[in-house]
Amino acid sequence: MDFRLITRVLSIVILIEAFSMVPALSVSLIYNEHSTAGAFLFSIVLMLLLSIAGIYFVKPLSKSVNIREGLLIVASSWILASLLSVLPYMLSGSIQGFADAFFESSSGFTTTGASILSNVESLPRGILFWRSFTHWLGGMGILVFAIALLPSLGIGALHIAEAETPGPTTDKLTPKLTSSTRILYYIYIGMTTAEVILLLLGGMNVFDAFIHTFGSVGTGGFSSYSDSIAHFNSLYIEIVITVFTLMAGINFNLYYFLFFRNWRDFVKDRELRAYLLIILFSAVLIAVILYYFGIAERFGTALRLAFFQTVTIITTTGYSTTDFNLWPSSSVMILLLLMFVGGCSSSTSGSIKVIRIVVLFKLIRRGIYKRLHPTAVVPVKLNGKNLSSGVVSSIASFLFLYIIIFMVGTLIVSIENVDLITAASTVAACLGNVGPGFGEVGPLSSYSLYSDATTVFLSLLMITGRLELFTILLLFMPGFWDTNR
Amino acid sequence: MGLNIRAIVKTLSLMLILIGFSMMPSLLISVFYGEYKTAEAFAKIIFPVLATGALISSQIKIIPHQLKMREGFIIVALSWFFASLIGSLPYLVTETVDGFVNAFFESVSGFTTTGATIISNVEILPKGILFWRSFCQWLGGMGILIFAISILPALGISGQRIARAETPGPTLNKLRPRMSDSAKMLYYIYAVFTISAISLLILGGMDPFDASIAAFGSVASGGLSNYNSGIQHFNSAYIEFIASFFTVIACINFTLYYSIVRGRWRDFFKNSEVRIFLLILCLATAIITADLWLTGSYNTIWESLRFGFFQSSAFITTTGHYSTNFNIWTSFSKMVLFILMLIGGCSSSTGGGIKVIRVIILFKLIKRSFHVKLHPKAVIPIKVDGKIIPPDTMAGVMSFFYLYVFVFIASTFILSLENLDLLTTFTTTAAALNNVGTGLELIGPTGSFALFSDFSKVYLSFLMLMGRLELFTIILLFTPSFWNPDR
Repeated sequence: MDFRLITRVLSIVILIEAFSMVPALSVSLIYNEHSTAGAFLFSIVLMLLLSIAGIYFVKPLSKSVNIREGLLIVASSWILASLLSVLPYMLSGSIQGFADAFFESSSGFTTTGASILSNVESLPRGILFWRSFTHWLGGMGILVFAIALLPSLGIGALHIAEAETPGPTTDKLTPKLTSSTRILYYIYIGMTTAEVILLLLGGMNVFDAFIHTFGSVGTGGFSSYSDSIAHFNSLYIEIVITVFTLMAGINFNLYYFLFFRNWRDFVKDRELRAYLLIILFSAVLIAVILYYFGIAERFGTALRLAFFQTVTIITTTGYSTTDFNLWPSSSVMILLLLMFVGGCSSSTSGSIKVIRIVVLFKLIRRGIYKRLHPTAVVPVKLNGKNLSSGVVSSIASFLFLYIIIFMVGTLIVSIENVDLITAASTVAACLGNVGPGFGEVGPLSSYSLYSDATTVFLSLLMITGRLELFTILLLFMPGFWDTNR
Repeated sequence: MGLNIRAIVKTLSLMLILIGFSMMPSLLISVFYGEYKTAEAFAKIIFPVLATGALISSQIKIIPHQLKMREGFIIVALSWFFASLIGSLPYLVTETVDGFVNAFFESVSGFTTTGATIISNVEILPKGILFWRSFCQWLGGMGILIFAISILPALGISGQRIARAETPGPTLNKLRPRMSDSAKMLYYIYAVFTISAISLLILGGMDPFDASIAAFGSVASGGLSNYNSGIQHFNSAYIEFIASFFTVIACINFTLYYSIVRGRWRDFFKNSEVRIFLLILCLATAIITADLWLTGSYNTIWESLRFGFFQSSAFITTTGHYSTNFNIWTSFSKMVLFILMLIGGCSSSTGGGIKVIRVIILFKLIKRSFHVKLHPKAVIPIKVDGKIIPPDTMAGVMSFFYLYVFVFIASTFILSLENLDLLTTFTTTAAALNNVGTGLELIGPTGSFALFSDFSKVYLSFLMLMGRLELFTIILLFTPSFWNPDR
């Protein structure tokens, strides 16, 4: 393994992160938060020095990244970025304790939106901005920038992109990696701009509009208010946020089709259809339950609550307009399920992803069919194309691994002796990058109840979930480090 | 559609005769304890049932022919359903259980070896009824062995079959399952286990009636008791150990006992399913014991070990016995119990759940996918006990597991309409689907299933049947392509 190459790429990541702190620095200056600005300035200078040292002194041996190096680069970049982002939180004194700060920054980058802060209103604006800006960066993948830079440094980066993009890789978008990531970024920036403008039109101030835009297009869920979107109590704002989180949960490659006016491929996409169908079905079901149990007096109100919560949970955003902890068990159960579904592949959302759920159902259907026709050879098809047995078995093992990690995670969190629903939903919310859970980690509470060890464990769980399990877990396999195997 | 209706009706009529005869011991028990009203009720059921069964089966002559797979599925599903239906009659006639739904639930819970009960005070029931309740479990345990060893392979439900030793089980090719000597031996083993369990429990100071009930509960991995406080009633470490011991051996692949009888001890100890099963049990016992001791749930490490082992074995074997109120344990220990509940016993045993062999295969699948991530072009077969698992079997195990997950989730949602707390709801699903019979919180050791509505009770009965018959057997009946052979 070429550790020099890895160091160089990591240095670039640090460089990018240093530049990313500049907007937060400016916000602190605008709002006259001088100590926060100082914290940012110090962090930026430190990171610049680190990265320049790395780029200048370490000369890589090879020119292209192989699979192992790619995986290691992605895993260490995310951990390193989260570690460095601890600096402003701790230096500005907004968060005491390393474990808590690490949790908050991994929660930001992984677009989870879980917080250990119980009173966010008391934080400096610069810190709030940085918190949400990490969502925006993490949504698209923090290495995307690096991938754009790498070819100019003469490093091939295909394996990095593969390890960072969420969802099973079934097809390549364009032969040229950098040009396609550039188009995806244009789409992302376009969506961001559109949402900021629409939120401003809804009467939000500029700062809040940016915070909530980052939270929704990154499917993160950090807010500048403790009561989240309920603070605004505006149907218009809820609709804008719902629409944009919904859009952020759609496969970005499909927008690429739209970009070239290829409507057919967009509308016919199996995953997109399933995604929209699940949302519609769940929202209506929740609305009926809420209305039936008298949580909402009018069916319209029930629909409003249900749609907003369904979309923010399935896209793993985690914004809330009400304390859904108090809902009847059946609606809580639906939300819990949606946490496991997640958005589409190659979107900014986390969790299992709709495409895998679609394949899962196809596997079940095939299993039933094969009981009656044991000799039949039935391929699993998606969008009219046969999936190779390799892809099918990798999806199947992903799902099983997800369940195992969920179980083991719940077991580990249960050492804290919180009730099991709190423990299970904590793990579901962190692993799926959702944010709020149920019980003691509901939308109005925070994750501050956990011990330092659990907090760090949950942070790693978020990164594991964001990088689709294998990237992080492989690092713990002896075979990964033994190149002969 | 060409189903052999005659064969199906004939099998069901034989079922009637079988159940009729099975009620005889309960009748005798009632007479023995002077419960004449209960005895009368049993008599009133037995004779019409036997007569009907004999009449129908004598009227139907079957031309021997190959039984088709569809017919096999229908026969298995209907047999369990029918047995439960007839089995609910004693409860109804003696009026010990109110209403058909409750009686049916209790009966299904017996035949599926679940051991869930809707009776909150079992101690006031007549002995004859208590005996029948537990005897159903014993029959169910026997039935499941026949099902797993003789019928499942014929229906092509893989997974169970993998760990089988080299004993070819009888096949279902001539309607009357021809029992080969090897298969007969397995049922003798079951009987021997039962008798040993009864004798050892009597040595522990139990009276023969209590001992039989506890033994039926253990060897069938059912878990019904004739006391409200379950095994806790006896408060004896010896009795707890005997009960656990027999639940554990009843949850080991029965075909392996055949190897032992034949003197092939190696096969038994080399079997990876048994090894992993015992390993999981030991590991779970160790961590629960440590947790209970360290958190001070019990005063001594010995007590922690006693309850830790008893509860771990009761849950992994899907028996659902209890000797302590584990609802007050720490979340961590409860989570371990919940995981054990899902895993279940070995294949071809009386245990329910996902089964250890499937868990092993799924873990191997994960291990392989890690390898493939690093070596995308590698083709690696998955091996168990040195034998390669064919891709079709792999696909079967995968689809079973995902169907299981799907059924689990859908059922939890349906039960959540009761608006009980989610932990109760989740463990209720697990308790019914895995045939455990005991869960956490409201359906824990002190609770009963009486709190559910009739709708949920019917659904839970259905779920128990589905879990016991390895999902596909029941689910297939609800697919259009099952009824439309051309597809």
